[in-house]
Amino acid sequence: MILGALAGGLVGTVVLTSGSRLAQHLGWTRMDIPLLLGTIFTPERGRATVIGYAIHFANGLVFALAYGLIFEATDRAGWLFGMLLGAVHGLFAGGGLLNVLLPVVHPRMGKPWTDARSAPVLEPPGFLLSNYGRATLAATFALHLVYGALVGLFASL
Amino acid sequence: MRTEGYLPLRDYAAIGDGRTCALVGRDGFVDWLCLPNVDSPPVFDRILDAGGGCLELSPRGPFEAERRYRPGTNVLETTFRTADGAVRVTDAMTFHDRESLSPLRELVRIVDGLEGRVALGWTFRPRLDFGRRKLRVREQEGLIVAADGSDAFALSSWNAGDGRFELSAGERSTLALTHAHMEPLVLPARDDAERRVEEAAAFWARWSGRLEYDGPWRDAVVRSALALKLLAFSPSGCIVAAPTTSLPERIGGDRNWDYRFGWLRDGAYTLRALLSLGCVDEARAFFWWQMHATRTTEPEVRPLYCVDGGIRTEEVELRLPGYRGSRPVRVGNLAAEQLQLDTYGPLLETTWRFWTKTGSLGAARPREIAALADFVSSEWRRPDAGIWESRGEPRHYVLSKAMCWTALDRADRLADEGVLPRRDAWRAAAEEIRGWIEEDGWDEARGSYGCAPGEDDIDASLLAMALCAYADARDGRFAATIERIRHELARGPYLYRFSGAETIEGAFVTCSFWLVDALARAGRTEEATTLMDELVAAANDVGLYAEEVDPATGEFLGNLPQGLVHLALVNAAVSLADGDDPE
Repeated sequence: MILGALAGGLVGTVVLTSGSRLAQHLGWTRMDIPLLLGTIFTPERGRATVIGYAIHFANGLVFALAYGLIFEATDRAGWLFGMLLGAVHGLFAGGGLLNVLLPVVHPRMGKPWTDARSAPVLEPPGFLLSNYGRATLAATFALHLVYGALVGLFASL
Repeated sequence: MRTEGYLPLRDYAAIGDGRTCALVGRDGFVDWLCLPNVDSPPVFDRILDAGGGCLELSPRGPFEAERRYRPGTNVLETTFRTADGAVRVTDAMTFHDRESLSPLRELVRIVDGLEGRVALGWTFRPRLDFGRRKLRVREQEGLIVAADGSDAFALSSWNAGDGRFELSAGERSTLALTHAHMEPLVLPARDDAERRVEEAAAFWARWSGRLEYDGPWRDAVVRSALALKLLAFSPSGCIVAAPTTSLPERIGGDRNWDYRFGWLRDGAYTLRALLSLGCVDEARAFFWWQMHATRTTEPEVRPLYCVDGGIRTEEVELRLPGYRGSRPVRVGNLAAEQLQLDTYGPLLETTWRFWTKTGSLGAARPREIAALADFVSSEWRRPDAGIWESRGEPRHYVLSKAMCWTALDRADRLADEGVLPRRDAWRAAAEEIRGWIEEDGWDEARGSYGCAPGEDDIDASLLAMALCAYADARDGRFAATIERIRHELARGPYLYRFSGAETIEGAFVTCSFWLVDALARAGRTEEATTLMDELVAAANDVGLYAEEVDPATGEFLGNLPQGLVHLALVNAAVSLADGDDPE
């Protein structure tokens, strides 16, 4: 079940990343996850994008492992249960992870306690990611539902 | 200074970053800027609608303006003098930064107080995609942010108040416009933005310092090279004809076209100019773009392609007032759908020139080049839209046939060198074309080549017959054609494109430089030099040219800055510098 979940995590992350890019192209959001993650480590755009993609894929596998452990613990898996976990995951990503935690750990993003000694340069996500476009939260949530469904589906095979 | 809200086109200077260009007016307004790329929708479009988008930064009250590019750069400096003092505005678009996270695109305007105390004002009025997309504007912590969908714009200001401020000698204020496309906004720190301006200036100076030209009119040649570098779309190597759309060829007229594409026809002139200046990297990039773009449609090629090599060129007419009432305003260009046989000559000439210079075909594949020549050898008898992209009935343009000859001649030479497979049909077709031109294309009654058989018109584009190898400039027939063109189409140093053009448009500046080039090749150096002096003096105050000029007033007409004019200037100067051996 764990291995299946990891395989689903790989496929799900590909779908989530591609879907996110599509949403950017369609003008639904300006949230660029690889750039946001990569610029934590480097200001150089090209390197940041590569690092960001690597981190995002690693995250996808870590979360898939967590899904797999939950499947093991409850002794049930399937696309619907996976989608339910994906909903929780999506709310966590949109409401807490990106909204609250990312600005806190991101050295190039302003925080409530940023003072005159530093000059943040990267636009923060804002309330419920609204700075990156009004459809950002909805797109993030929907893509995590798909991710969860794929992890659940693969784990059940 | 402005007429009904519109600045004379002569009063614009261009700044850019190798991806897009902004037009900065003499009165301190940025009136044109497409983001993120030169063919993207504009965020500032005031050149086409007096009520459109702009970024103003100018003194409050009467002033005089004087400007220049910082020597050897595309960084613009405008000095405003008022009754109370003087300030200098430095305008630049900056580059990708490796030291700090930099915005996707950034335009920086720095104001330095020089004398006294000057009252200034600024206004940020973004309008996306000609107003077809509504921007949501909000102000937060000294920033103005405007966003819609995948695009967001932010104006940061430092020591510039909320739109009105005063500056004393020694003080500095800065504005930075940043753009994000499909990503979060990067909001620059003041020091970083100002540093990037200096880095941009240093890059331009280094780049222009490497140009290998020490002949006459060096300043004009270097400025033209810098203008061409502004028109180059760095991600692909394409060089756009101009960064603007729909600036009219006649005030109030309807000959208003979108030039934010790369034209294959310009390729031969581009390669010669770039290689003459030692810009081998840019020449290689342009050649690669050309070969990459044509691969999608070969063996038939389109006259023009998008900057990324794409073919999405659909033409749309917009409901905008147009520059001084010149409608319609168009985006996209229908000429992409035309058959323009003259395109093939420059394309094969470019290939030949690239091969002789580098010994390689770069991105081109011999099979594809041969297919182009095969197409020409079988299709040259068809009527076409010609170099001027006529939207009327296709005709048998003499220049189109001459360019078909050039295409086949170059293919045959490449076959001689073993680069292309040999096809006897190419040489045979080339000879047949020459026979057609000398028989049907020669107007015996008027003693010159004609525009098309059986027609009375003369066309200045026939000068290109000598520039693209078909004709020897010293040949009697070509010399007679030069004389007829000068007699019928010249107004002072300027040439109209064709008979009757004076009723519908201005004089076409490129043709005047082609005349210089042809005279130089004919050994008529004195005449060529005199004309060149007059034309170089006809640039605007910062050395740029629009596509056309009204010979009566000197007013600029058409899109600007126009790449073909600057290419023709460089090539004319090179021909004169090279004397009897212009190649």
